[in-house]
Amino acid sequence: MNNYKNIGKNLLRVDGKQKVMGKTKYPQDIYMDDMLYGATLRSTEPHAYFKIDISEAEKLDGVVKILTHRDITGENRHGVLFKDHEVLCKEKVRRIGDPIAFVIAESPKKAKEAKKLIKIQYEKISAVFDPKEAMKENAPKIHDDSNIVYHYKCRKGNVEKGFKKCDVIVEREYKTSMVDHAFLQPESGLSYMEEDGTLVICAATQYPHFDQIEIADALGLPKERIKIINPAVGGAFGGREDITMQIHIGLGALLTGRPVKVCYDREESFYAHSKRHPLYMKYKTGADRTGKLIALEAEIIGDTGAYASWAVNVLRKSGVHATGPYEIDNVKIDSYAVYTNNPFCGAMRGFGATQIPVACEQQMDIIAEKLGISPVEIRLRNCFRKNSVTATGQVLVESVPLDKCIRIVSKRLFAESEMVWG
Amino acid sequence: MINIKLNVNGKDYDLEIEEDLRLIDLLRDRLGFTGTKEGCGEGECGACTVILEGKTVNSCLLLAIQAHGKEITTIEGIGKEDDLHPIQESFLENGAVQCGYCIPGMVLSAKALLDKNKNPTRKDIREAISGNLCRCTGYEKIVDSIEKASKILQQRGSESHEQL
Repeated sequence: MNNYKNIGKNLLRVDGKQKVMGKTKYPQDIYMDDMLYGATLRSTEPHAYFKIDISEAEKLDGVVKILTHRDITGENRHGVLFKDHEVLCKEKVRRIGDPIAFVIAESPKKAKEAKKLIKIQYEKISAVFDPKEAMKENAPKIHDDSNIVYHYKCRKGNVEKGFKKCDVIVEREYKTSMVDHAFLQPESGLSYMEEDGTLVICAATQYPHFDQIEIADALGLPKERIKIINPAVGGAFGGREDITMQIHIGLGALLTGRPVKVCYDREESFYAHSKRHPLYMKYKTGADRTGKLIALEAEIIGDTGAYASWAVNVLRKSGVHATGPYEIDNVKIDSYAVYTNNPFCGAMRGFGATQIPVACEQQMDIIAEKLGISPVEIRLRNCFRKNSVTATGQVLVESVPLDKCIRIVSKRLFAESEMVWG
Repeated sequence: MINIKLNVNGKDYDLEIEEDLRLIDLLRDRLGFTGTKEGCGEGECGACTVILEGKTVNSCLLLAIQAHGKEITTIEGIGKEDDLHPIQESFLENGAVQCGYCIPGMVLSAKALLDKNKNPTRKDIREAISGNLCRCTGYEKIVDSIEKASKILQQRGSESHEQL
């Protein structure tokens, strides 16, 4: 036994007992007297200009206020890297699900009823859903003059010379799909004013300190007047890094002076938060006859949908990890993040590294098959070890026990007779 | 509006409700049993599981009037602060709890299983919680916890038998 206080010990989660008893408060579980309820009207078109008429909805008994872009007291924008989201769209929607209006009423039922009375007139414009199409000069533009949000380049050695030395070259294209986090607790939040004028926003978030800045900017209030309370979070996995309802309820509480609560249902949750970037990966990998990798050329295109969210960081990570955990002397990698009219993509477990093995590991298997060596052998021949140099030039000076790991796993996976390598 | 009577966690309630009120909304908004969670609202995730007359149901799929004259157990009716139910104890000690949103439903599905089947196989356990989704744990530790809880309950059962 060690002498550490915590390491190696079985510790109980500090919040575990309340959770097994059902006493933990998620935002949905917070109720206040005199509380109002919000409902978000969202775009049903992927790319369109629109006009909104709330006159009939406003007259419905029980409706307290309907927020549109006109009501925003600060900057009508937010976003973690680029301020490319509008709090409530002003004249253009860029995806199905863009928020246009936020109805505040005495009951959730009334709010939903009023939402149906809002009239939206769309003027559809050309949309683009394929990121490769979106990269072209003449493609419809989602925001400004180019849909290419980011281009990452990684260069090592000389791929042209490298491929000339190869005995086998494999060229393939791969595509991964868009994925939702599907955290179990849909987005919900409650906002209210404190007596001294502080605006409180209770919402399950991964980014409370940054939410505070974004809410303050959107409401035109000093940061000190915004207090974020992060109650229990029912799963997140990256999907709660962007603002969803926080500014809507904050503005609602500020303008009505009453607490405002909103609970998304599962369908609205799918519309509201980011997704995992689908990647289009074009790979050319070459090796000599012993299976030693010599050159890799990869083009990776990430569809970030209508908003950038963390696209830059995600596609940089995809580029950095494009070789997989293998040492290759000649590398040319280009990764791009591209706007389309699809649902927006951002952070999700692995941040762009998760999609890469679909391509790079499949390439390894195909090369091994062509050379008649085992998938284990080709990985052991190329995997990172101590003092390996990565494609970005990083020297791995710390412990890198990958070869040991591969050997142990393959021993357990395959019977001795099937083993080709150690 | 309509009148209903029901018993929740051993207490009788006599209430006037809207005809279209869902059972989950009655439990959460009217009676304050917020341990009952809504994850999907369409009977897929099981976060809203309660025990109705000994059987698990999705409270998001039932109208409140369907519970008229019936007995319901929610998570608030299982264990006490200083005396957790063995299932809750086992979830806690075996690291089966992460975000916690699925846990009330999981505990109730486990309870309904162990009330009927004292010595379930892992397959029985998996089947019993097949209507409860968890996005954090990968289920292994939840299955472990229910298995261990069944052992604890069996042991307690035989001990109390010996005392007789």
